[in-house]
Amino acid sequence: MEGWDPNTKSTLTQIPLLTTKAGPRDGAAWTLRLKEEYKALIAYTQMNKSNDNDWFRISAANPEGTRWTGKCWYVYNLLKYEFDLQFDIPITYPSTAPELELPQLDGKTQKMYRGGKICLTVHFKPLWAKNCPRFGIAHALCLGLAPWLAAEVPILVDSGMIKHKDDATTSTES
Amino acid sequence: MDDELLELQRQFEFAQQAKSSIRLSERNVVELVQKLQELHIIDFDLLHTVSGKEYITPEQLRNEMVAEIKKLGRVSLIDLADATGVDLYHVEKQAQQVIKDHPEMMLIQGEIMSESYWDSIAEEVNERLQECSQIALTELAAQLNVGLELIASMLEPRLGTMVKGRLEGGQLYTPAYVARVGAMVRGAARGITVPTNLSLLWSLLQQLLQEMDGTSSVVTEGAFFQSLFNGLVKESEILGSLRAGIHWTPAVFAIAQKESVDSFFSQNSFISYDVLQKLGIPQPIQFLQSRYPEGIPLDTTFVHPSMIEMLDAATEDALEHGSWSDALSLLPSSFTPQDASKMLTFCQSVQSALKSNQAHIFGDFYVLSNSFMKGICEHLVKEMETLGVSGSSGIKMFSDSLVANVGKIGQDLIRSNESNETALDGSAIKHVDRGSKKKKGKASGNMVANVSDSAAEIPEQTSTKSKRSQRRGKETFSSQLSDSKIGSRKESLKVKEDSLSSPSDEWIMQKIMTLVPDFEEQCLDDPETILRPLANHLRPTIMASWMEKKKAMFTENSERMKSLLDNLQKKLDESFLNMQLYEKALELFEDDQSTSVVLHRHLLRTVAAPMVDMLLRILDEHNKLKNGLEVEEASNSELLTLSPGDRAAISKSFPGALGKKALDVIEALEGKRVETFMDAFREVAEESGLSLKKLDKKLERTLLHSYRKELTSQISFETDPISLLAKVVSLLYVQVYHKALQAPGRAISVAISQLKDKLDESSFKILTDYQSATVTLLALLAAATGDEEDCSSDRILSKRELLESQMPSLKSLVLSSSQSS
Repeated sequence: MEGWDPNTKSTLTQIPLLTTKAGPRDGAAWTLRLKEEYKALIAYTQMNKSNDNDWFRISAANPEGTRWTGKCWYVYNLLKYEFDLQFDIPITYPSTAPELELPQLDGKTQKMYRGGKICLTVHFKPLWAKNCPRFGIAHALCLGLAPWLAAEVPILVDSGMIKHKDDATTSTES
Repeated sequence: MDDELLELQRQFEFAQQAKSSIRLSERNVVELVQKLQELHIIDFDLLHTVSGKEYITPEQLRNEMVAEIKKLGRVSLIDLADATGVDLYHVEKQAQQVIKDHPEMMLIQGEIMSESYWDSIAEEVNERLQECSQIALTELAAQLNVGLELIASMLEPRLGTMVKGRLEGGQLYTPAYVARVGAMVRGAARGITVPTNLSLLWSLLQQLLQEMDGTSSVVTEGAFFQSLFNGLVKESEILGSLRAGIHWTPAVFAIAQKESVDSFFSQNSFISYDVLQKLGIPQPIQFLQSRYPEGIPLDTTFVHPSMIEMLDAATEDALEHGSWSDALSLLPSSFTPQDASKMLTFCQSVQSALKSNQAHIFGDFYVLSNSFMKGICEHLVKEMETLGVSGSSGIKMFSDSLVANVGKIGQDLIRSNESNETALDGSAIKHVDRGSKKKKGKASGNMVANVSDSAAEIPEQTSTKSKRSQRRGKETFSSQLSDSKIGSRKESLKVKEDSLSSPSDEWIMQKIMTLVPDFEEQCLDDPETILRPLANHLRPTIMASWMEKKKAMFTENSERMKSLLDNLQKKLDESFLNMQLYEKALELFEDDQSTSVVLHRHLLRTVAAPMVDMLLRILDEHNKLKNGLEVEEASNSELLTLSPGDRAAISKSFPGALGKKALDVIEALEGKRVETFMDAFREVAEESGLSLKKLDKKLERTLLHSYRKELTSQISFETDPISLLAKVVSLLYVQVYHKALQAPGRAISVAISQLKDKLDESSFKILTDYQSATVTLLALLAAATGDEEDCSSDRILSKRELLESQMPSLKSLVLSSSQSS
């Protein structure tokens, strides 16, 4: 599990692992799987809250739970930068990891695919494959999005690609 | 959509809505606290732990410390710092405060201890003490890791209450143990009867204890014994006296000691320190002085005044009687000379005599009265005078023995003079040994044999002798001396003066010994004690008087010497002329060998011998006179004939060449040739500076004339028929040959036969007849047994008558012829 900072690692190990291997087309098995996903997400969220490290809000956008939407944020220089977050559960889930999208940052950075899908590190995929089906959405967020934000947001802010909403308003105002 | 899923959705929603807890970093907190202190919201000291994660107030720290101390009883500050997690500095600071607040606690060497801790320790100690009966404090201190003093001070107030025992010299003992050891000490102390070093005793007791206790190696301190012992002494359970803390003298011993000293001192009125030391009194003088204040301490002995009185009386007596006393011999044998001399200083009579110069002390303890010394002095001076006569012979005689005595002979003159002195001494001893001075001659006779040896062995000696003779020669006949010897003579003269005029100490010592035989007994082992100083003291006096006497004697003697020599010259002239006269007569018998020998010998015996004797005697006398000695004059008048030995002895006493020549003369005297004798005699006379007259015609005639006259008168008055014959024959020779013949009886007949041609028939006939008659008479006389009734006496008588009848004819024969011529 090299390639991640120790904080991420310790957090990851505390997220409960999943057991059911089922995709969205698997009917009842998927429901089971979905339940487990929720449990993992609850635990992760609680963990973040207790560590004063809350950084996202998501919720299922359809009753099947195959599309999720929400927000994520990162605090840099005492300023909170917030972005929209959305992703779909692929058909081959859980063998394939969900592709996390930050549509607001589309075209603003090179570490992103067309449509705002973030580029994950080379380590992510093998790790995910190795831990299929034990890793779920919570793990993808923890392992994929959190490090990405920590790495990219300060660069984007410093390079002026993104501006705080207050600054943006003040700059527009001025 | 089942409920469970909905529920989970809701829960997730709720979880996401929940407020996240707010967390502050440590840094923020520290900053906040600092801010609070800045704002004086916190207005007291805040301490922080070593980890830096906690703040603690001093009160809390103190509380924690007290709690820790109460829990453990004894805590080191370092441990406290660890336990509270606060820096040691703060802990120490707070510890002061804690001690101040809690009087039952104490801070000792970085450790805080409470009373309760000590109580528990005391209990522990007590338990152990009851088990072991004794514990060393050092052991405890080591165990507890605290100072000895501390543990002692802590245990002392608890002794008897919590700790049931007794602290003694760093040891804790149970009362039972103390009692036991006390009993041992008492027993040992009571058992001692002689002074003892207590530490020795303690070590013995210690050994005993160790043996009894077996393996438990308990070391009991000597101090413990000592304190027990002191207690016993104080309670007078044991009697005695303790000195310097460790020397114990039991009362029994002290009493015995005192009694013994008392009894000895009262019996003998003295006591030597040795005795006291043997009795174990280390400082006898102080001891005795404190006991007998009237006593007098000497060097090795302590005496009662009565002892001194006794010595005083004895010495006074000796002094009054003009004698001497030996203080040492008057005192007991244990007295040393130093003691004796010291005692003498306490004698009043001696001191007063010394002050008034009535007595002298020699060799520390010999007291000699002045009159006694004067007596010795006079004796010695006299002795020296008499010795001076025999001195010169003595020197020679004992120079041989001296070789052995001295061991080596010095090369220089001084040494040889020393030897002379020693020899002098030697002679003195010899004479003393023989008891009287009369035997001197004999002694010297015995020594004759040595003389030649010594002369050969000691060239130095001979040289001195010869020099002496030279000196003598110089004084009398300086003309005869060769100038070349003057230098050496001067030197020898000086040396000789020394050697003769100064009697050595040894000599004086010897003399004193003979005078006072008591000295000899005393000084056998060490003559230095008295004789040497006495001799030293007397010597100047003796020397002075001796020199005076000698001077007087010398003047007196010089006159006598002169008259003596004149006398000798006269006598010698006379007798030597006679001798020459007689010698001439011998020429008549040259052809008759046997008669000649007889005649020669007769002449030597009858005429030469007295002459030689006279010469020797007078020379000897002269010799003595010159040495400044007194000579008895008696011998001058009665000239006794000397034996050959006597002659030799006298000649030996002559110095140098004179002696040798004199010996030659004596030898010639024993010989058969008058000529050799005459030669030798002339040499002696020459050597001794006498001139001998030669017989010339005129002198011969006058002598012959007087001789003839004498003979004639003698014959005319002669009544003895036998001696008449010899005289008649002599006279006939004078008449016929004009020679003076001295013929012995045996040679008479030959002499008569020589006259045959010169006389007429008748007178020759008378002569021969008379001669034959005389011979028969003499033969008869020789054969006569002395028995009156024997017929031989008648025959002798008749022969004598016959001879007597013929005497007138014989007389007339000579007298008529003498008248005619």
